[in-house]
Amino acid sequence: MNYEWNVSINKAILNNAPKVNKILEENPYIRETAKELRNKKLDVLDNIDFYINKTEESVKKTGGNFHFAKDSNEAMEIVKNIIKDKKNIVLSKSNVLYEIKLRDELSKLGKDVWETDLGEYLVQINNDMPSHLIAPAIHLSKEKVSELLNKNLDKTINENTSVEDMVRAVRKFLMEKYLGSEVGITGANAIASDTGSVLLIENEGNIRIDTVLPEIHIAITGIDKIVPTLKDAFNEVIVQASYAGFYPPTYINVTSGPSATGDIELKKVSPATGPKEFHLILIDNGRKEAINSDLKESLLCIRCGRCYFSCPAYKYYGKDFGDPPYTGPTGIMWSAITAKKYDKSLLCMHSGGCREVCPMDINIPEEIERIKFMELK
Amino acid sequence: MDNDTVNRISKMKKMIFNNLMESYTPFPMDKKYYSSWTDKLPKNKDTIIYTSYMYQISVVLKRYEKLFPKISNINMPKRLMNISKFLIKPDEKELKRSFSIINNISNLLNKNNIDFGYLYDEEPYSGAILLESGFLSEFKEYGNKLYEFFKNKNIKKIITIDPHTTNALKRLKKLINFDIDVKNYIELINFNGSGEYVIHDSCLYSRAMGMYDTIRNKINNSGIKIDEDYLTTSRDMGTCCGGPLSLVSANDSDEIAKLRSEQLLKINENVLVMCPLCYQNLSPYVDNIKDLAEVVS
Ligand code: SF4
Repeated sequence: MNYEWNVSINKAILNNAPKVNKILEENPYIRETAKELRNKKLDVLDNIDFYINKTEESVKKTGGNFHFAKDSNEAMEIVKNIIKDKKNIVLSKSNVLYEIKLRDELSKLGKDVWETDLGEYLVQINNDMPSHLIAPAIHLSKEKVSELLNKNLDKTINENTSVEDMVRAVRKFLMEKYLGSEVGITGANAIASDTGSVLLIENEGNIRIDTVLPEIHIAITGIDKIVPTLKDAFNEVIVQASYAGFYPPTYINVTSGPSATGDIELKKVSPATGPKEFHLILIDNGRKEAINSDLKESLLCIRCGRCYFSCPAYKYYGKDFGDPPYTGPTGIMWSAITAKKYDKSLLCMHSGGCREVCPMDINIPEEIERIKFMELK
Repeated sequence: MDNDTVNRISKMKKMIFNNLMESYTPFPMDKKYYSSWTDKLPKNKDTIIYTSYMYQISVVLKRYEKLFPKISNINMPKRLMNISKFLIKPDEKELKRSFSIINNISNLLNKNNIDFGYLYDEEPYSGAILLESGFLSEFKEYGNKLYEFFKNKNIKKIITIDPHTTNALKRLKKLINFDIDVKNYIELINFNGSGEYVIHDSCLYSRAMGMYDTIRNKINNSGIKIDEDYLTTSRDMGTCCGGPLSLVSANDSDEIAKLRSEQLLKINENVLVMCPLCYQNLSPYVDNIKDLAEVVS
């Protein structure tokens, strides 16, 4: 095992696992909410076409644009049609954006594309892939980060620079990018089908800027993110944040269509200060097929990332246990669904801690057992 | 994952499956020898103690695993595999230890007024290795054969003594019509003990089958003191000994066992296990490791 990885992962576990446990002990309503959410999400999976249509209607009612993409290629075509010759693009952390290789594709077209989540920015300048759903750069030590920033951003940064100063330097750089940005592309933590709202949760504040400052906001996510109501969507982001170790979350962003004002004679006018265009792209990419397969339960995953830290295979192999961006126990399921890649499941020992800590009560070891079967049959 | 590994595992599947379908054992083995831990139990009973040879073969399993890649590379005729060097002889001392564990479990069951018999060398293997390696259709197919076998013997209740067998039979209940009662010995007995230990849970007992609290309660009530630590021994954070990985990579399996041992030893130098495979994996790194059935009466 790589020594650096061993140190990083143990630090991450020490910082995260007891914290999540404490959050759940102190706020028993969260476990209850998670149970309720599981049932709501099952209902969506059982009636997926109904909920996709309902989401479409709701988004259109808010003045937003709705798109459905059956795979990555379709999703990329839709994005290209929306952004046309606009060049300056800011992104917020999203695994679905990796799934469709959005940053690579846009960079190939000569766009100036920047990740605005700090960890994701570090992964970008390291030409790397994320090692965890929530904490993409846990594999990078402070020394490595100082090296990266020195090479890519600011020659005065070295291994003696404080973490605070490193963060400040990145913030300064990103501020310039925000100010010049024309398009903000985000994922989504939940989509409310009754209102067409996109909910995004974060601590850094970058998503808030990505969704408000550029004149176009595009949210791209999988159909698994749909929940029946806005209340369910709030529940999903609270459960996700809590199980990820962030409670209360610093920011919950709700976007229901483009910006608007009714301040002059109560007449609704759009845009106001925020974006003039809002687009929701829902992507299938194997998800519908999975609903009708042995892997339906996997689609309940809300990507809190908690299962990683209970997994001996992830602790040992790091992001090699999976296919980035989908790594760890949940990554084995998502790689199977979205890329039909099954081989890394063979590294699973069925230790089972993943199932114990999963807010959606997914029987992850049995899901992975079936994925092993797909690989070996 | 490289193709060699996948091919090797697939070949191994065929070999194990064929052996099971022909002789009820995953590889050639001396059933008489492995079932000679007792000659005192009745044969024709509808409740049986079921070893599935797990404690007995655990002492040679690692050597078989090393042999698998070699066997799977040469397409050896089966009749040759059944002879000579492929019949691995276990270390006498280790086998004696496994016999005494099974005998102790058998005595504990008697002490708790449970009436049971034993199938001796007719006992079949459970098929757990197929399930745990992801060979689901083969597991189901063999499961049906196993079910028929028990039905023909008029078996109504099976008392399992290790986690892998217990899990395999409980999964058969979900996967096929395996309507024979399956109970694990820990569920059936109360016992006394002493000393202070850190528990290395069997993933299958404590998590897959949800026995974490039952095991803790029984051990706590026995007089044994348990040292706990959230990151090491909780249901959420406790992890595997690495054993199930050995068919994919013996080296990685061993490294994981070493890391797990280091973690456990920080809590207590005395480690308590409930699974013969956990014992085999961790014992190279833990001097003072005991199976539950070695320390209770
Ligand atoms: S599988 Fe469960 S624990 Fe893992 S990321 Fe998904 S919701 Fe969280």
